Amino acid sequence: MVVAQWMVNLAMAYAALGVAFAIAFVFYGVGKIDPAAKDAPLTFRLLIFPGVAALWPLLLKRWLNGQTLPPAEQNAHRNSDKSVKEAKS
Amino acid sequence: MSQAYASVGWNRQKKLYDLVMLASVSVYLALFVGIGAIVHPNATVETLLIRGFGTGALLMLHVILSIGPLCRLAPRLLPLLYNRRHFGVAMFLMALAHGAFSLVQFHALGDLNPLVSVLVSNTRYDSLSNFPFQPLGLIALLILFLMAATSHDFWLANLTAPVWKRLHMLVYVAYGLIVAHVVLGVLQAETNRLLVMILGTGMVVVLGLHLIAGWRERKLDGTADLPISANGFVDVCGVEDIEANCAKVVTLTGERVAVFKYDGKVSALSNVCQHQNGPLGEGRIIDGCVTCPWHGYQYLPDSGASPPPFAEKVPTFNVKVVNGRVLIDPKPNAPGTRIEPAKI
Ligand code: HEM
Ligand code: FES
Repeated sequence: MVVAQWMVNLAMAYAALGVAFAIAFVFYGVGKIDPAAKDAPLTFRLLIFPGVAALWPLLLKRWLNGQTLPPAEQNAHRNSDKSVKEAKS
Repeated sequence: MSQAYASVGWNRQKKLYDLVMLASVSVYLALFVGIGAIVHPNATVETLLIRGFGTGALLMLHVILSIGPLCRLAPRLLPLLYNRRHFGVAMFLMALAHGAFSLVQFHALGDLNPLVSVLVSNTRYDSLSNFPFQPLGLIALLILFLMAATSHDFWLANLTAPVWKRLHMLVYVAYGLIVAHVVLGVLQAETNRLLVMILGTGMVVVLGLHLIAGWRERKLDGTADLPISANGFVDVCGVEDIEANCAKVVTLTGERVAVFKYDGKVSALSNVCQHQNGPLGEGRIIDGCVTCPWHGYQYLPDSGASPPPFAEKVPTFNVKVVNGRVLIDPKPNAPGTRIEPAKI
């Protein structure tokens, strides 16, 4: 009972912080970490809102780190392309 | 994508898809509540709606899970896959309506927070016939929420497709939880053995389709370990083994490569579309571009780059044609590197 109450309280606190963060992020931060979002319409900002509120620690980190581009995809071909090998050696 | 995000990239096909989906959902709910009211005259509208939304979401989930393997077995059905994410979001909204109505109906009357009430009102976790099935539904609903909330292309770009796909693979966890939620719930309600039978059939269909499609894929990856010749190139096939404007798919350096033949030339690129990692080698050359079969992203065959204003890029491979054989250097070039196509 006490455990369940705490779990729900924690989840609520996480979600409340997420909503507060999302308000700042969808109108301001998102354009900083992804140039394709800079001039996106209001409906786009509302559509990503729930996900931002859920995954806010990840986006907060990128924003604070000053990342300006989405990360590059990792897969077998991209990780072993010739430019990667040359850069490493 | 350097192309600015739209909220939804509407086109005629997507509008039609959504219209058919909305109409089907409305007809289903109307029939369910209508027939339910006749068969169970004592049931309240709320109860019927809870069941209608729940079974409707369950039905949609089965269709969604079947679309993937069906498209691998019968490419004619690819239009179903094209807008699957709207299907997924609609399914989540149905499940949310079911869950929210249930919370209000069964858990909002006491002093407890309804979410706490779901977790503690029944704690007989040691019992099969009285197992608290509602928390299973709650966890499944949270997973479906995460998936719906990350369905925009913004999330594909910012999580990258492989991470996004892993997240969305949780749908199978949600499916398992929902099956348990329904079966254990029905055990308690005694209402609907029929539902369990239909669910059993649905599970056989979903599982069977996945097994058959998976079996086919294994055969494809069996083409690994082609011998590397002295100059470091791999002989992958004869020129005549590739149909014009189509590709042959081989596995090199731990991933599939699509070898396209077009305009008397051969080019090779990584098979993995940058959008949702769709299989480029199952697409065709349309208007001079390799066109992904899943959502139509396009790449120039010689450079692996999307034509402007788009910015997607996939790795390319050095390719030669010698005595009618196609030879490929298994070391990928950086995404978007232009490689002179081999003349046939
Ligand atoms: C917060 C989450 C959820 C809660 C509290 C919840 C609650 C319930 C309850 C109380 C019932 C029994 C209803 C009755 O017999 O009248 C039920 C049945 C059912 N639930 Fe859920 N559920 C949740 C999530 C889900 C999800 C995510 C699905 C996904 C599709 C789902 C599908 C179903 C189905 C198919 C039934 C059987 C309907 C019937 O008896 O005809 N539920 N749920
Ligand atoms: S996976 Fe969506 S277009 Fe290729």
